[in-house]
Amino acid sequence: MTHASVSGAVTVGFAGLLVAMIVCLALEEKLHAKKSVIVGVFAVVCLLLGGLLDLLPFDEMVLEVGEEHIELPIYIPAIDWGVVAIILGSSLFVDITSKSGLFTWIAIVLTKASKGDPLRLLIFYGVMTVVFSAVLNNVTAMIIVGSLTAVSLGRLEISDKLLGFLLVEGLLTNVGGLLTLISSVPNIIVGNAAGISFVTFFVNAAPYVVVVTGITIWLGAKVFKIRSLDGDEARREAAQRVSGFDENDGIESRFKFTFGAVMLGAFIVTIAAASIPDTVLNSLGMGYVALSFAVIMLVQYKSIADRFYQAVDWDLLAFFAALFVVINVMEHVQVLALIGRGLAPILELGETVGPVTMLFSSALASSVTDNIPLAAMLAKILGNLNVAADSPYWWSVIFGANLGGNITPIGSASTLVAVTIIHKHGLELSFVGFVRAALPFAVLQLVLAAGYVLWVL
Amino acid sequence: MTKLDQFQSAFLAADKTALRYEKLAVQHALVVSDLDGDAAEALSTQVRSFLSVVDGDGTRWSRLDGGGFSSVKQLLDTVDALAPDLVVTYRHLHSTAWQWPHSLGEYLDVLTQATGIPVVVLPHPDAARALPHTLKHTERVMAITDHLSGDDRLVNHAIGFTEAGGSCWLTHVEPQSVFDHYLEVISKIPEIDTESARELIEKQLLKGPRDYIESCRRQIAEQRLPCEIGEIVTMGRRLGEYRRLITEHRVDLLVFNTLDDDQLAMHGLAYPLAVELRQIPLLML
Repeated sequence: MTHASVSGAVTVGFAGLLVAMIVCLALEEKLHAKKSVIVGVFAVVCLLLGGLLDLLPFDEMVLEVGEEHIELPIYIPAIDWGVVAIILGSSLFVDITSKSGLFTWIAIVLTKASKGDPLRLLIFYGVMTVVFSAVLNNVTAMIIVGSLTAVSLGRLEISDKLLGFLLVEGLLTNVGGLLTLISSVPNIIVGNAAGISFVTFFVNAAPYVVVVTGITIWLGAKVFKIRSLDGDEARREAAQRVSGFDENDGIESRFKFTFGAVMLGAFIVTIAAASIPDTVLNSLGMGYVALSFAVIMLVQYKSIADRFYQAVDWDLLAFFAALFVVINVMEHVQVLALIGRGLAPILELGETVGPVTMLFSSALASSVTDNIPLAAMLAKILGNLNVAADSPYWWSVIFGANLGGNITPIGSASTLVAVTIIHKHGLELSFVGFVRAALPFAVLQLVLAAGYVLWVL
Repeated sequence: MTKLDQFQSAFLAADKTALRYEKLAVQHALVVSDLDGDAAEALSTQVRSFLSVVDGDGTRWSRLDGGGFSSVKQLLDTVDALAPDLVVTYRHLHSTAWQWPHSLGEYLDVLTQATGIPVVVLPHPDAARALPHTLKHTERVMAITDHLSGDDRLVNHAIGFTEAGGSCWLTHVEPQSVFDHYLEVISKIPEIDTESARELIEKQLLKGPRDYIESCRRQIAEQRLPCEIGEIVTMGRRLGEYRRLITEHRVDLLVFNTLDDDQLAMHGLAYPLAVELRQIPLLML
């Protein structure tokens, strides 16, 4: 079966299915359905229709192992198992490491170091959000920093500043998500497709992240009127209040804590080392590194390992698996080629307007729906169009897919967490209210990203 | 349980209440009795000796003897006019009901609730119920509550009334019957593992007061106060547990709260304590 034999009507029909899936994902909350179920249903339908219309290459799904021929169901090779391994391994690793109390320890030490001064607290929490987003993931970072923010501002009796703090932190999760190749799922998907190594990614993204973090915190302090305390008495009182936090409270075992800290450092170094070409780690891939570290950490908790398996975000993993299947079917039925043809005018806009248009359209698209299908589709399309690894278009997709999440509260899972915490504490913030508050930050970040992609990278 | 709840719980647990130490300074102590003349004078002398720890250079002592009041209103008006910051008295003023251990007497009943002034309640002079070691020193002071964390007023008073070289026992008895009742409810909820709940809730219930007592110890060390802090944090049937502890530790003065923000009557635990623990002096806040 060749792609040329797919009729235009069938392609348009499947494109309709893809649009319907994206709309359903955008309406996830309204449908009261998990992502994995939504995309799973579309994967099942797409496979069935593709099979009935004889559009899928079933005959080619054979694995040659020596003299053995193993037939594979088409949905197995459709899934990018490397990406699944990275996500499964790193989320398990982060979950187990957080059990050691390491992240809460860091968060509380920084809270005490701020001496309860609101501005210093905003700076420390902002930087911590970015670093945690980069090392862990956006959602976990927002959960850790957001829940601490609510507790510490309550302690300092400045809960009126909670909305400002949480909004700035929510916006910074998506900035921190740009720092490394494994900081967010779009980075992993697009980076893998483009062949960008961990080190190259970090070196390219870090300057932007540092500058934009500083600007976002500065703007946040201005907009939400978060200032330093006046007078010695106020400073003494604030310092006294935060001194009640005990950073050691969550540490069950000093050994596990130290081990967790060492392993986290080793994990980052090893992930970086996996990008060195012609090495065993490079051949095994980052998924292997992530899973290996998860297994090493599990040894510490061998008798309760099943508790960590229960905590794995199976919805996310099943969502990925189903999404890859849908995209694979879309490739066979020429939907990706159709979108690619639609994107061709953007690619022909030239070295300046083209990447900027790609960046802003990616941002707009990911502001209203999940940025993962967007990144997966665009990565596949750019790959099929043989776009060079050093092309700014890859970075436009990366920056757009990540930063687009800052435009609306449903644009990224971490901003959704921020809004959940805001509502949990009885603060009013509507969809429009979020957009109104976040838009100046998002526009500034996107404009800076466009300039960065054009003139720095 | 979501991750958000997990981390929020971790941070709330790490946010520990610490003692804010304030030195106790009694400027004006008032001894109220239904005695007159030499008997009243003798009582006042005994009280000053017993409470020498709060008898500073600036402390003024005054007396309201039996002839000075004949109604609750008169007592309250006089106390209000004199504005002491400590009242020392005993149960059943102008009454012989002390023979029946079932109440505090109308004067003390109202006085402890109508004013926010701390009241030291002595064993009745006629009842001869006082334990042999009482009314001599305040070497062993015990503060008791079912909610110790953050009760700075209670702890500051207990520390302030402890003599140099003495021990101040901070006691938190978590009511076993309430705990059992909640666990019985939990055992009927399939979504909650009963054994985990028992273990985790008990641990957390007792951890709060223990952490607070630790902060009291740090304050004692920082302020270089000449007393030591004892710790009793346990589950139990409160009144029985307190009776046992008071005897076991030979307590010279028992300190507890009587005022309750939500009600006009005495704090739930305070009344039975004040009525039943008649052998030792009590400081009712």
